[in-house]
Amino acid sequence: MVPITHFLYLASALFVIGMLGVLLRRNVLIVLMSIELMLNGANIALVAFSRFHANLDGQVMAMFTIAVAAAEAAVGLAIVVSIFRSRTGTDIDDLSMLRD
Amino acid sequence: MSGSEIVFYLFAALAVGSAIVTVTRQNPVVAAVWLVASFVAVAVSYVLLSATFLAVLQILVYAGAMMVLFVFVIMVLDVDEEGDAESRRPMRGSRFGYSLVLLLAGGMVVWVFVATLSKQFITPGARIDPAADFGSADAVGRLLFTDYLFAFEAVSLLLLAAVIGAVVVARSRREREKEAAAGGMQPEHMEAAGLSHPEQIVPGPFAQTDFGAPSAGGHQGGN
Repeated sequence: MVPITHFLYLASALFVIGMLGVLLRRNVLIVLMSIELMLNGANIALVAFSRFHANLDGQVMAMFTIAVAAAEAAVGLAIVVSIFRSRTGTDIDDLSMLRD
Repeated sequence: MSGSEIVFYLFAALAVGSAIVTVTRQNPVVAAVWLVASFVAVAVSYVLLSATFLAVLQILVYAGAMMVLFVFVIMVLDVDEEGDAESRRPMRGSRFGYSLVLLLAGGMVVWVFVATLSKQFITPGARIDPAADFGSADAVGRLLFTDYLFAFEAVSLLLLAAVIGAVVVARSRREREKEAAAGGMQPEHMEAAGLSHPEQIVPGPFAQTDFGAPSAGGHQGGN
């Protein structure tokens, strides 16, 4: 049986990889994919705690996370399409129209 | 080393490895394919945690629906493979920002290690054996439709709002102009909203998507 700590190491590794992708990459599509990686890391931690406490609440939470991630991806990609139409580019450093 | 341990370490390495590859690719299509590999590996670790229904959901929603959405958007956008100047400026922000990010990431890993090794917050030995139907669609569905009914309905409303929002946001400028004109919007109001009146637009080709030049050899056909 795999100890819970190893599941938590996997979860934190995925979360940190996703965080580095969000903070360091400039392609907005890769940034969205990195956000999905971070959500996956959080989900693994939820499910691991759920299993080791024999409590199903964590799995229900993970299900809600998946649903919210789907909504987030749909809206995020719609914004990417709309920005790409007007500005032609997926570089997030060029997207500062709310600031200036 | 038991069978479940071998499977866990194998697929955990696959999940982390393909996540690293995803984040480092220049071409978003390649990154999306590696992301699918990472999602499938995560689904395997769900099965090991006896969350079978969630594993199926992970494959269906993440590796299925969401990745199709990503790949479709990438295809519609026709992003060039060079990744718009990303190779020239790989890092965003200053050197200070870069080191701050690395410090954050490292700090998080160290924090998880300290928290797990100190055994202060979690007790790895205290493991409760779950019921036989733990993680099945039956048990999870029962919980979802009793204790979490309100949250479930709220999430379904959120998904509906997200779908409508996505359609509204992704409409093209021409569609919005046509709708505004059909709705009886005054030309000066349309100008204030950043739209031009449809009658002022010179007719011409209104291609929304540039599918690029055909490849040199053309499509050969056949499999």
